[in-house]
Amino acid sequence: MSKPPSDKLLTFKLVVVGDGGVGKSALTIQFFQRLFVTDYDPTIEDSYIQHTEVDAQWCILDVLDTAGQEEFSAMREQYMRKGDGFMLVYSVTDKQSYENIPHFYTQILRVKDRESYPMLLVANKVDLVHMRKVTEEMGRELAHRLNLSYIETSAKDPPLNVDSAFHEVVRIIRDSPPVDGPKKCNRKTKCVIM
Amino acid sequence: MVHITGWRFGSINYKAPTWRLWGEEKCEGAIYTVYLKKVRYHHPSRSITQESDDDEISHLEWETVRVRFLKAGTLEKLIESLASDSGELESTFVNVFLATYRTFSSTRQVLNLILDRYLALTSSSNKINVPSHLREDHKKALRLTLQVWLDAYPEDFRDPPSFACLQQLWEFTKTYLPDTDLNIKVGYKLEKMRREEDLKSSPMLERILSCEEMRIHCSSPMSNGNHQPYEFLDIPESTFAQQLTRMDTVLFKGVIAHQCLGSVWSRRDRGRGDTAATVTATVDQFNAVSFRVQSTILVDTELKPSQRARLIVKWIDIAQELRMHKNFSSLKAIISGLQSNPIYRLKKTWGAVIKDKAELYEELARIFSEENNQLNQRELLMKEGTAKHAQTAHANDRHLPKALEKLAINPLATSYGTIPYLGTFLTDLTMIDTAIPDTVANGLINFDKKRKEFEVLAQIRLLQGAANAYQMERDEMFERWWDSVLVLDDKEAWRLSCQIEPQGSSAPSSTREGRIRKRAQFGHRKNDSIASTSSGSSSSQFFFDNDSLNTPTSHNDTCSLERKMSTSSSSSSLPSLDVSVHSGGTSASGRTPERTSSSQQQHVQQTTASPYITPDFYIIRVSIESSAHEIEGVNLYKSIMLSNSERTVSVIRKAMEKHGFEGNPEDYTLAQFLPDGEMLLPASANVYYAINTQYDLNFVLRRRRHGDENTIIRRNPTKDHKVRKKLLVT
Repeated sequence: MSKPPSDKLLTFKLVVVGDGGVGKSALTIQFFQRLFVTDYDPTIEDSYIQHTEVDAQWCILDVLDTAGQEEFSAMREQYMRKGDGFMLVYSVTDKQSYENIPHFYTQILRVKDRESYPMLLVANKVDLVHMRKVTEEMGRELAHRLNLSYIETSAKDPPLNVDSAFHEVVRIIRDSPPVDGPKKCNRKTKCVIM
Repeated sequence: MVHITGWRFGSINYKAPTWRLWGEEKCEGAIYTVYLKKVRYHHPSRSITQESDDDEISHLEWETVRVRFLKAGTLEKLIESLASDSGELESTFVNVFLATYRTFSSTRQVLNLILDRYLALTSSSNKINVPSHLREDHKKALRLTLQVWLDAYPEDFRDPPSFACLQQLWEFTKTYLPDTDLNIKVGYKLEKMRREEDLKSSPMLERILSCEEMRIHCSSPMSNGNHQPYEFLDIPESTFAQQLTRMDTVLFKGVIAHQCLGSVWSRRDRGRGDTAATVTATVDQFNAVSFRVQSTILVDTELKPSQRARLIVKWIDIAQELRMHKNFSSLKAIISGLQSNPIYRLKKTWGAVIKDKAELYEELARIFSEENNQLNQRELLMKEGTAKHAQTAHANDRHLPKALEKLAINPLATSYGTIPYLGTFLTDLTMIDTAIPDTVANGLINFDKKRKEFEVLAQIRLLQGAANAYQMERDEMFERWWDSVLVLDDKEAWRLSCQIEPQGSSAPSSTREGRIRKRAQFGHRKNDSIASTSSGSSSSQFFFDNDSLNTPTSHNDTCSLERKMSTSSSSSSLPSLDVSVHSGGTSASGRTPERTSSSQQQHVQQTTASPYITPDFYIIRVSIESSAHEIEGVNLYKSIMLSNSERTVSVIRKAMEKHGFEGNPEDYTLAQFLPDGEMLLPASANVYYAINTQYDLNFVLRRRRHGDENTIIRRNPTKDHKVRKKLLVT
């Protein structure tokens, strides 16, 4: 592990969304758990911030997971606005949570007022094989339809793809086109001419 | 590499110099954490000022005692721990236990165990390991526990129609504790609950009762015989805030704290719902407020922006009143409503909000900033939770201090309680529930987890107590208005919003939206304490990595590529380049980096099977040519998806777009880095098939120069020309 550079790192704000009970908190906790093996305090200010190296580039990952607040539906858009990238999480044992994904997807795009935005579709709880109701094909089909990457995760020990999922969102953010308007427009026009 | 600061342990300040962690102690059915505590055994004769210097005081006046805390245990052990070995009531333990036992047991089970133990202590049997001279003390502790239980959690016993547990306790006390306080209390509770139940089942009686309630509360300051319904803009802000606070107070005081526990709230079956009914009720009220913010602003689509802005300002003023009332629940609900997409996007309307009010809005919204794990809100709650008035303003606030000043000089100002936004507690409890296991060491109940949960529950209960300070009159007119407001669903609100300001005309304002990727300037105060993890590939900025450059033997091709390129670029003139990505259509490795460079090989084992299967494209990495010293730490390579039908020009165009270049793609060339040089891609090539997938898919984009057309493989690429570059500071 190389040392994280001391300053001037990029911060990525990553927002975890999905229905209640899909195991969002378990993913977040699993990702951050090495921080609090001895004692966990959810209230300290840097509970959900860590330096992470993704593809040899260090960055600061600032994760916003409002697990437990799903039913305060009115405030969802407020925190979506803050996200640089999103994990759309459903549980493979809960069909409804899968069916609600497009709703979150549309809401994010509306909040961002964009046609696409860095998001990753996360099928969680794949360890519960016998309770599985949403197949991998269904997951991939949805991902394809929404034009998202797809990943299957489990936060149960041993965890599956938990770090990969968070890192993948960072990649997606890095790879996404810049937001600022005017430059992009110029380029588009030029493309049309050619 | 893990740094943790700001540890907080339970309710004990372990950092105090008089406490020291000694270790763990195990016995049958229990694990204890043992601390050594310095206590003074001489009667204190020193002055208070000297007392602060604990460490300085002579050892002669102190002795060290062992203090044990139950860390985990069987339910029986937990029941035993309600009293200390010497039979004293362990009041902290009892409080934690009673607040949380429902997560690992039931009222009936706990009651049975307590009563069994009580009987065992009464009989002279040796079943129980308590010396006979202490048995009376132990019994007393159990009686006290039962009393505390009945007083603090009467709803545990509200189990109609038979009230089995209460009935059982009643019979027990009648037999073994006749005419004691406990016996009387149980009898009273039982009778009261039965009576209340009878009332409930009699609709007639209930109606009479509610009518009576109506009469008591009917006085409405606005009614005065005038039965004109309220209009939103006419309702005084103070009335509005009071009425919202009145509703919230009833709901918040009605919250049964342990229904907020992660194992109850976040694990409940949403279909059934009544396991956390008191929490759901506050959530519903919160949403009701936000929805009314939306509908009052949106419902009349014909308004001019300035008219609609008045509605927004009205809500801001109400929010400010709520801040003064320390009602953070409805305050956040209003802010959420104003920040909900259908309102937030109304650019013209917001533009018509006068500057002063817009500033006030920003101040109020800042309270709920999610930055640093809701730090602002948490601090505010700490400071004002049980204070009489609102009193804290953020350093940058302009409006709040003025309002606070007014409040401070008004001797008649009523004192208020505090209504917190419950959601933060719910998330904290969900996280605790997720992070800490319920049981340890073969099924022992993890009581340390319960202590942790209790810290949050205790805060809620403290604020509930403080909420008694609210004295708000009910205003029936307001309630009628409140119920009459049309509530829009998501789609409807969005439709109206788009009708008011069509899509496309309302790009989110860049100031509020913020740049998508921001530098970490906002000062995470604990930057140096943030723990670090690595995704495994450690060295791809190898041009600056002396260790890998100085390795005398090259283990593989990538390493020799490194060497070659670094020697050729005399003054570190290559951009940072990621070496790790090779994405295959050939295997299941997909987009997850495979680590191939020498210095990365030690990490290869960490790679888990990739979740991505992407058979018909490659992900390639394209860097740009520039002088490296300027771009240290800046992301210069970009990943590009390469499908099987793409020509060089289109790939170059994509790469330019990603790097923020403008200009003609034909002015640029694309080359793949290979172990023995670079392969320049001909302009008409199908890149998918032309590239060499034996090696890392790393490419360089550079401005075309004379002669490029003729050379496919170029050794020792030279860097003598200037590339116009525009770095994307991401």
